[in-house]
Amino acid sequence: MTDWILFIPELYTLAAVGVFFFLCLCRARPGRDYAAAMVLSAGGLVLTVCTAGFEGLVFEGVYQVDLYSQVFKALIYSGFFLTVCLCADLSGVDKARHSEFYLLLCLSTLAMMLLASSVHLLTIYISLEISSYSLYVLVYFRRGYPKGAEPAFQYFVFGAASSAVMLFGFALVYGAFGTAHMAELMGQVPARINEPLVFTGFVLSLSGFFFKLAVFPFHFWAPEAYEAAPHQVSAYIATASKVAAIAILVRMIAMTGGQGDRMAWVLIFLSVASMTAGNLAAMAQKDIKRLLAFSSVAHAGYVMIGILCANAMGYAGAVFYGLSLMVMKFTCFMVVVKAADGGRNIKTDALAGLHQRAPVLALALLLALFGLAGLPPTIGFTAKLLVFKAAMDQGLLWLVIIAMFNVVISLYYYLGVLKAAYFIAPAAQPRAIAVSLPFRLLALAMIVFMVAGGLYPRYMMALAGAMTAGLFP
Amino acid sequence: MQMHAAQFPFLSTILLICIFGLALVLVLPKNSNAAVKWVSAACSAATLALSVFLFAAYDRGAGGMQFVERLDWIPSMGISYLNGIDGFAAPMLLLTGIVFFTGVVSMWELDFRVKEFFALFILLVIGVYGMFMALDLFFIFVWFDVSLLPMYLLIVIWGSSAREYGAMKLTLYLLFGSAMILPGIIYLAAVSGLETFSLPALVENASFSGFEQKTAFLLFYIGFGILAGVWPFHSWSPTGHVAAPTAVSMLHAGVLMKIGAFGILRVGMFLCPEGWMYWSPMMAVLAVIGIVYGVMVGLRQTDLKFVIGYSSVSHMGIVGLGFATMTVDGINGAVFQMFAHGVMTALFFSAVGHIYDRTHTREIGELGGLSAVMPAASGYFVIAALAGIGVPCLASFWAELLVFIAAFRVYPALAMISVGVLVVNALFMLRVVRNTCFGPLNDRWAHLKDMRFAMGMPRAVLAAAIVGFGLMPFLMYDLIQTASVPLIHSLGQAVGFAGPESVETLFTELMSVWP
Repeated sequence: MTDWILFIPELYTLAAVGVFFFLCLCRARPGRDYAAAMVLSAGGLVLTVCTAGFEGLVFEGVYQVDLYSQVFKALIYSGFFLTVCLCADLSGVDKARHSEFYLLLCLSTLAMMLLASSVHLLTIYISLEISSYSLYVLVYFRRGYPKGAEPAFQYFVFGAASSAVMLFGFALVYGAFGTAHMAELMGQVPARINEPLVFTGFVLSLSGFFFKLAVFPFHFWAPEAYEAAPHQVSAYIATASKVAAIAILVRMIAMTGGQGDRMAWVLIFLSVASMTAGNLAAMAQKDIKRLLAFSSVAHAGYVMIGILCANAMGYAGAVFYGLSLMVMKFTCFMVVVKAADGGRNIKTDALAGLHQRAPVLALALLLALFGLAGLPPTIGFTAKLLVFKAAMDQGLLWLVIIAMFNVVISLYYYLGVLKAAYFIAPAAQPRAIAVSLPFRLLALAMIVFMVAGGLYPRYMMALAGAMTAGLFP
Repeated sequence: MQMHAAQFPFLSTILLICIFGLALVLVLPKNSNAAVKWVSAACSAATLALSVFLFAAYDRGAGGMQFVERLDWIPSMGISYLNGIDGFAAPMLLLTGIVFFTGVVSMWELDFRVKEFFALFILLVIGVYGMFMALDLFFIFVWFDVSLLPMYLLIVIWGSSAREYGAMKLTLYLLFGSAMILPGIIYLAAVSGLETFSLPALVENASFSGFEQKTAFLLFYIGFGILAGVWPFHSWSPTGHVAAPTAVSMLHAGVLMKIGAFGILRVGMFLCPEGWMYWSPMMAVLAVIGIVYGVMVGLRQTDLKFVIGYSSVSHMGIVGLGFATMTVDGINGAVFQMFAHGVMTALFFSAVGHIYDRTHTREIGELGGLSAVMPAASGYFVIAALAGIGVPCLASFWAELLVFIAAFRVYPALAMISVGVLVVNALFMLRVVRNTCFGPLNDRWAHLKDMRFAMGMPRAVLAAAIVGFGLMPFLMYDLIQTASVPLIHSLGQAVGFAGPESVETLFTELMSVWP
């Protein structure tokens, strides 16, 4: 008999989806929908944190509840909650569709939670698809976007192609081993990972997760989708979605037991290409959301360094990196949401005079950008230190040097944004940015978190280490 | 590495005073400029007093690392908050204290975004102090970066000519340097197999192969060398100096460049003696190119700040040459030069800053005869210039003497070239002094008044340090000696290096005339 208690956070989220579905059937009332979303997402976050200690297998062993998955669920829920916090002014979305917006967001969250616990190739596939389909639709929710459905359609086509390739890879893996259970695969894969069939199957299987993480060359959807989507959806894609991708990617790579040089080289290539392509492309961007999209591509490369090391510190580093990325990216989008009028896109220049218009937001942005650049004393520095240390333990000095070259490149465009916020005087009298007290507290919380993660990361690092300890065969 | 635990955490107290000062400045109301300045001055005076105390209280007989403090930070990675000072760090703390205090007072007339300026200035100093006292590689890197980041903001907001270009160039250069240091640090920590970032623990217990040492030293040399203004990584330096406001130029050329040289010494030379030995000929050649280049390019400059900027490249080349000799004298001279150049260049920038504030020009051709109307300001300028050319009885004289004594033994040809070029530089600097302070007075400046006592005070402190250590160099020499002798001794043990005879030099004989 299934131990349903282990499934409580998911059941709660499913119930929340039901509530939003019911609200969709009622008359549109944005204030009510927002309040419901706040309450339900906060409740879900609390519930997920409270169940972080649960452990066990559900549904005939295809669904594993452990510290690793529960903490990731908490992170995904945090992403959902934080995104909802940005929805007080959801002016980029039609008022009549607010409840649908929250429904899809919640559904995607549920799917990502399922993804974090899935230990069977089929459940992984289904979870990934459900989470992606919600996002394809959400990208199209932007009211009056000039390019219409094109970016969403592009996102869908790329996603569908990646899914197809991934499914083909799953089929090859299943063909090679005769099982789709990760627990069983874990015992057999390390010894056979260099066989052409298994290697090909694995590389193809990973494409779906690379797509979600926007790893080069699976990243082409990212700048278009980020630009076209409502800001809150872009924030969600940049935070919760990335965390979910890291969760499953680490689990999949851990299945190889760190064996297989060819696999390592594939990952190294993708890492270097992502870092370099992402950073070089970001240098040319003026639209902040596009810039953040390309920066996400670059960060996918840094995360990959931790993952490809396939050692304890590497996995812990990747998990820590996911957490830090979520906070820093969210902070950037928080500023974008506040600085943009009526949900329109903004260019870097639009941040001119931000330090006078909203000092707390400017400070938060400064720390987030420093963190994204990997400068101390921020959480982003600690994250980079962890993945680089893992790479050094594997003797990959040259890879770290390449990564550090990329860090310097990235500084150029991060400082460009910072310059606009602090040093450029606005051309005309700028719109005053009204930052409510709760929003100010949220910004302060992000500031504290980013600094604490840089100055005193030992407990967060210990948690990341404890989470990934169970991934080894 | 001998270590003596602290009875009282003096080093952390310096940092805490700065942090407290920073917090106080941040919470003060926006328009309370006077209060911000007084808080900054009090903070800088307190840290200067502590720096002087530590300089004097350092037990020269015992040597080793003193005032050591330790606190576990991230035990799982072997990272600890570990501070301590030796004969190399104590002079640098004193230098930071002097330049911090005089820098704050030099900016007393600032009236634009005062609160932010002093907050960033104190933050920068926190990084500098931290860097000089840290003994954990992780913290060395963190403090290094903390000292760099405020620089960008300080130059962009309060800088002068081409400030955006200068700030961006400086920041990218220096952060590129830091991007080389981090892999080096993690590399050594990883290959040591000790799961620690503690510098003393790595020096004592780790055994790095020749390849590892050569690789890591090269990374450190490039990384820290960029900040030290090593040719060919120097080009950010004159541009940055020119763009920066007075106090930032003072701190920048006076102290920040020393962080680079100190990093090469503390991290590169302590941890990778074999790498140091392997790369020392290259270091010597680059140092001499820097000396020659700095002088030659400086000859063509008409802007006073560019003149000082390029002379800094040249003077820092002397530090590099001292390191490259791998002798006690060379190291003593290099560290002495770091201190002497720090004080001297701070005085130089301070004097030029004052002249610029009054005349709004730094063009040598437009100035002239300033000593007639600004005798005190011109006097400080002249003292700095004389120190720059290494006139006897000023601190830099002893520093350069020691380095060249060592260099003539190890790299005679390079030493000869350097000395020859420095003679040319002396002639040029004297011409700059003549064209700026003496000769006929330009009518445009006839109305100018000399500096008030309050504004002259910081310059007097700097001049006193230059003259004081010039007249009593043993105060500095004896202290540096306590660290350089063990370093060269351990080098001999580590790599079987039998360098040239390096004790009982002319310098020690000269010193014997003192009671």
